[in-house]
Amino acid sequence: MAYVRRRIGGALLVLVLAFIAAYILLAALPGDAVLARYGNPDLGLTAAQLAEIRAAYGADRPQLVQFFETAGSFLRGDLGYSIQSGAAVSALLAEALPSTLTLAALGLVSAVALAVAIAITATHPGLRGHRAARALRNLLRGLPPLMVSLPVFWIGIVLIQVFSFQLGLVPVLNAGPIESLILPVATLAIPIAAPLAQVLIRSIDEVLAQPFVSVARARGATNTWLLSRTVARNAVLPALTMAGLLFGELVGGAVVTEAVFGRMGVGQLTAQAVAARDTPVLLAVVVISTVVFVLINLVVDLLYPVLDARLRRSDAAAPTRRAAVAVR
Amino acid sequence: MPSVSRRSALALGLGLPALMTLASCGNGSSGSDGAAAGEPQQGGTLTYLEPQTWTTLYPPAGGFYPNGGLINNLTDRLLYQNPETLALEPWIATALPEVNEDATEYTFTLREGASYSDGTLIDAENVVKNFDLYGIGDPERALTVSEAINNYDHGEVVDATTVKFFFSAPSPGFPQAVSTINSGLLSSATLDRSGEQFGPGNAADLIASGPFVVSAEEIGTQITLAVREDYDWAPASLGHEGRAYLDEIVYLVASESSVRVGTVTSNQAHIARQIDAPDEAQFEADGLVLYAAPTNGVNNSLSFRFRDPALEDIATRQALIAAIDRQAIVDTLFTANYPLATGALGAKALGYVDTSEHYAHDPALAATLLDEAGWVAGADGTRAKDGAPLTLTFNEALPQPRSREVVTLIQEQLAELGIDVQLLPGDQATQDAARAEPGKVQVYHSMVARSDYDVIKSQFSSDNRNALLNGHPDGTVGDEELDALFAQIASTPDEEGRAEASAAAQAHLAEQALILPLFEEPQVYGHVDAVQGFSTESVARPSFYDTWLAG
Repeated sequence: MAYVRRRIGGALLVLVLAFIAAYILLAALPGDAVLARYGNPDLGLTAAQLAEIRAAYGADRPQLVQFFETAGSFLRGDLGYSIQSGAAVSALLAEALPSTLTLAALGLVSAVALAVAIAITATHPGLRGHRAARALRNLLRGLPPLMVSLPVFWIGIVLIQVFSFQLGLVPVLNAGPIESLILPVATLAIPIAAPLAQVLIRSIDEVLAQPFVSVARARGATNTWLLSRTVARNAVLPALTMAGLLFGELVGGAVVTEAVFGRMGVGQLTAQAVAARDTPVLLAVVVISTVVFVLINLVVDLLYPVLDARLRRSDAAAPTRRAAVAVR
Repeated sequence: MPSVSRRSALALGLGLPALMTLASCGNGSSGSDGAAAGEPQQGGTLTYLEPQTWTTLYPPAGGFYPNGGLINNLTDRLLYQNPETLALEPWIATALPEVNEDATEYTFTLREGASYSDGTLIDAENVVKNFDLYGIGDPERALTVSEAINNYDHGEVVDATTVKFFFSAPSPGFPQAVSTINSGLLSSATLDRSGEQFGPGNAADLIASGPFVVSAEEIGTQITLAVREDYDWAPASLGHEGRAYLDEIVYLVASESSVRVGTVTSNQAHIARQIDAPDEAQFEADGLVLYAAPTNGVNNSLSFRFRDPALEDIATRQALIAAIDRQAIVDTLFTANYPLATGALGAKALGYVDTSEHYAHDPALAATLLDEAGWVAGADGTRAKDGAPLTLTFNEALPQPRSREVVTLIQEQLAELGIDVQLLPGDQATQDAARAEPGKVQVYHSMVARSDYDVIKSQFSSDNRNALLNGHPDGTVGDEELDALFAQIASTPDEEGRAEASAAAQAHLAEQALILPLFEEPQVYGHVDAVQGFSTESVARPSFYDTWLAG
């Protein structure tokens, strides 16, 4: 349990540092959110009128004072108001989070399914025989590097052009709750599945080359038995590590996917807030993303001993990723 | 006032390669029913695509197009500006106002029976309350003053249907100002809200008197307007009376331009705003219509900041004008919907004067002028004077179409003459901060849409947008004469006087080589031909009152 406590302490430190770093970076840019909204020539305000508004927002006070005030209200759970629209940040997030979580969860599940399908097919011993089979194997092995190099927005737009505009299979905007998820989930899943599949293929290859596999096979184990009983367990650890790290990619992917598909979500909110330099919204997004990122990686770390008996020894200081990778 | 930001996913640095127009060519006719015009039909739901989400429905801050596109269909105004003739006509006021000799007192008579959607009447007390807020603002509540209303002092209730407004100085632009969306009338309860309460999440609670009311809202992605059945006070010059034809309008946000275009061309939505010039060709297919509306204000132009040491010599500014090939810019980057500018103002704008003789392209003359001004070519080809290189920084006008490409093209053109052009990078807040700071930007790319004589003052006067940076933050003004000319436009009580003052200001801008107008900037909409009777107000915001769906 000391381990869990230490990990949670570390997570809090990461959170605080992320908050401070985000604040400093936003403050260092020329201009701020009040200027972004009211200094825009569109409103035609004079310098004096602008100064009054700045005073009303408290944007004329020293940065340090503003920082501690913001940090204080975050600690109290008050996320403040969007400067761009005036809406409560908590209301914006409440509207955005469910849709993004659905998208991200489905994206991740589809990515894992896709990655596993590619990896298992590509490493299947049955594909070593014929020339045609070998060609298929090479094709499948070439797929992940191709997928990983496609930019998310490009995938999104191609999917829209082909499946919606050309074939008319799914509407893009104004679609039903399920229809509206199909293309975004596919867009998000493809680039996430690619590195997962790469790691899985490599680790399955490595495990298949281990002596114990030859022994098991010599004693009559079938391919399926081997895969499910020994190979999968050994090969899944690096992939799991990868999945934790890929969450960052998922957030970045959501920004683009939601912008392209006009979906409300944390990604869309972030894109709009970045454009308007909307500090309260951005800080809230940073904090929430950090919390989720840290949580997911904590869960991944805690899962290692569950999946691999070798990491369960009580004398080991703590299961670490390095250990997990080392034993494979 | 208005702005059309081109920001989309691209603004995040995720730049979309131009290649993506790829698959969409030639599919325009799919599914369109080829409906022809006929008797207007009532009913139906129109889907309208906006590139950006709206930010506030507080009318004085409604210049941003996504805001204005809503406010224009939700609110009524005292007067109606006919978008064709730009003449003012009665609306909630029964006639044009009575005005005193020096244009400091205006009396409006209000029509009876017009009501807000919560049932309260538009009476004198309510109208005064509207303008007491719009004319003065309330910084405490973060509610800004309306840019269009100058010198406002106070309003008075004369009787239930008569209001009188008083000004501290002549305010001849006031009648036009009350016709703009920035003067959209709101119920008294709505006027008590704070700035935050005009933002997203509150739309259904904002009460106005227009032909549509907000019926549903999803923050950041869509907002639905429903027709008001008992609406019966549309301006007389519109196509019909009574309620609007459409039952509902769904505004959807689609920031990615290829998605906007493809959704309309594949008949999944009815109409989209901001069709980029390269995408216009896709609307030439059967069943699709392109609608380009003029913005009737200060043209898309370059303002030369003449107080900067690099541009203080008129010969240098004249050299820039002669060196930049505007025709090449329009031909390369735009279409026939972006006509070459012939003066500071759009050809249909109030007070327009043709000053095109000052804007001839002549690279040889430019070289001579630069030599005369003392700019000598150095070893690297860049000209310099007294050791200072001729380097000019241009801002990127993010809300304007293809500003980056325009500046890049100019960069190539000027490089041939030994002028080094830099583009100021950064987002809108960065651009806004640099815009007001002397020495940061030498050439300012911008435009303003507003159909009143005052628009030229709004753009150039040192106490408004200050495009020429004539006024510095330390309070000094470089060209007092120029400011006086603009003040004249806003304070001369009669129309002829204002037109003359505007002409004088335009002549000064042209003769002193202070600006180079590039093109008349339109708002471009694309729609399927089932959409009939679509029109825009005087600065090209959508008006859906007369719009109906065929078939």
